[in-house]
Amino acid sequence: MPTRLQLPQGASCFSFDEARARRALEAQVVSTFEGWGYDEIVPPLFDDAATFDPSLASKLYTFTGREGTTLALRPDFTSLVAKIAAGRLRHVEAPLRLYYSGEVVRYEPPRAGRQSEFHQMGLEFLGGGGPVADIEVMAIAIECLEAVGVTDFVIALGHAGVVTSLLDEAGFPVEDSRRKVVVKSLSRRDPRAVADALAGVGGSELARLALVGLAEDDGIRLSLDQARTALGGIERARAALDDLEAVTNALEDAGLGGRVALDLSESRGLDYYTGLVFRIYGAGLGFDVGGGGRYDSLLGRLGRPMPAIGFMLGLDRLALLVERQLGGGSGEAAPATPVAGETLGRSLQRARDLRSSGRRIRFGGVA
Amino acid sequence: MSLTIALSKGRLLTGAEALFSKGGLPFPPLDTRQLIVEVGGLRFLFVKDMDVPVYVEHGVADLGVCGSDVFQETGSDVLVPLDLGYGRCRMVLAAPTSSGFAESWPTTLRVATKYANVARVYFEARGLAAEIVKLQGSVEIAPGLGLADCIVDMVETGRTLRENGLEVVDEITTTSARLVVNRASDHIKRAEVAALLFKLRHGKDGASS
Repeated sequence: MPTRLQLPQGASCFSFDEARARRALEAQVVSTFEGWGYDEIVPPLFDDAATFDPSLASKLYTFTGREGTTLALRPDFTSLVAKIAAGRLRHVEAPLRLYYSGEVVRYEPPRAGRQSEFHQMGLEFLGGGGPVADIEVMAIAIECLEAVGVTDFVIALGHAGVVTSLLDEAGFPVEDSRRKVVVKSLSRRDPRAVADALAGVGGSELARLALVGLAEDDGIRLSLDQARTALGGIERARAALDDLEAVTNALEDAGLGGRVALDLSESRGLDYYTGLVFRIYGAGLGFDVGGGGRYDSLLGRLGRPMPAIGFMLGLDRLALLVERQLGGGSGEAAPATPVAGETLGRSLQRARDLRSSGRRIRFGGVA
Repeated sequence: MSLTIALSKGRLLTGAEALFSKGGLPFPPLDTRQLIVEVGGLRFLFVKDMDVPVYVEHGVADLGVCGSDVFQETGSDVLVPLDLGYGRCRMVLAAPTSSGFAESWPTTLRVATKYANVARVYFEARGLAAEIVKLQGSVEIAPGLGLADCIVDMVETGRTLRENGLEVVDEITTTSARLVVNRASDHIKRAEVAALLFKLRHGKDGASS
């Protein structure tokens, strides 16, 4: 008998109705991905630790392979899928529309909505550039939530180019560690911390004011018009706002305007994002259920330059959101018909008949 | 959709009441024993100060009022858009007055504190190995009793430190009352959150003029 019956902290385990509800959700999301013409990729569970984004390095579960190389369990899918597209799938013509569904592990201290082991369902549109691909991915994200019955949700939309261009203009060199402090303070929407982190930087006053403004509750954070007035003088920021406008205009024309809300303070932290970034929030859940963004330079670093955008939903969070918005009970099993006969053979025959008509049974053997 | 606000019945409560009433917002009676109070369309929760950002991070409360020391310690992933401008304190490292601590810090030391994470980050940034003795309060007596070499704690006037034979060695940070907001509520309940922030900012600016 094991001396310790409990699972390690952060490990996930589901059973019965909960597991069934998760399967059903996964099937609905995967069928949406399939419906938009995406093909499944089943990446390996582990790879060289160096494959994964450096910002996740401190969260990796690593181990040593037979040859002495350092391997890691996958902490996300994007870097892995990009690497496979640049390597094993390099002869497959772009664009590649790929989706995945599986567990990832990250060392996470216990927090709201965070386990060390969790299930991500997502897609990567490799070779998909510009607003046309942005819109496709946003539309799929919206349809996934609709498909599982979530009605009350908002996608908070930003653009990594806004924050990045402002940081450059504010006078931070590319590798300056203070950039991260500003990004983090911006993500917490703490105007004072942003202002403190900008103290003593010699660049454009306009960019510094805009960064503080982005952390504030309203104004340029939430309005394209106000952002244009404040940031229009900075060319790359203007290009980012043009991208965003193309996306929001198309979504509005398609009647989806109510599904998105601008949040220019959003930059999602990860270094590889270069364009549109978004997080999805649903009523009743205090944290995002998923998110995504454009990463146009990652594939180039792997030797197969092409634009790319992806997004993912956390299955565990989605299950929680569905339960909060639609109530429980979605994972209930169909009633099982008990099967027993005079002999084992009869009983088995009857069981197979019922099974061939698709019934759920409970096999009882001889009556 | 109405908003839920987490408060603690500590030193920041009367200041919160003043701000809410200056902003024309309802506030529960200060002497209530109820832990959940609905008043004027808002729902208030009374919880321990360290728990305010936890309730907000989970989305059980949409907003909360707590000291910046509290969310620095809990590390909660919440938005902090508004400094409420009162309840200012200093988070300090303090040691016995005649210990010579200020002149030369021991390379290994024991620190008594309620703020274990803040203390750990502070000493790690200075390359020091510190043993953290986590206490729930009255940390000022720990050095005198030999439980620790120094303390990390909040000071308002410094009187408690002096009366217990301690002096400030370093100021770690200054703190104040902050409004904390849940990330999802900020978008899902945008209109309500924006209206509340507007009124609180109005109350705050009115208070300082």
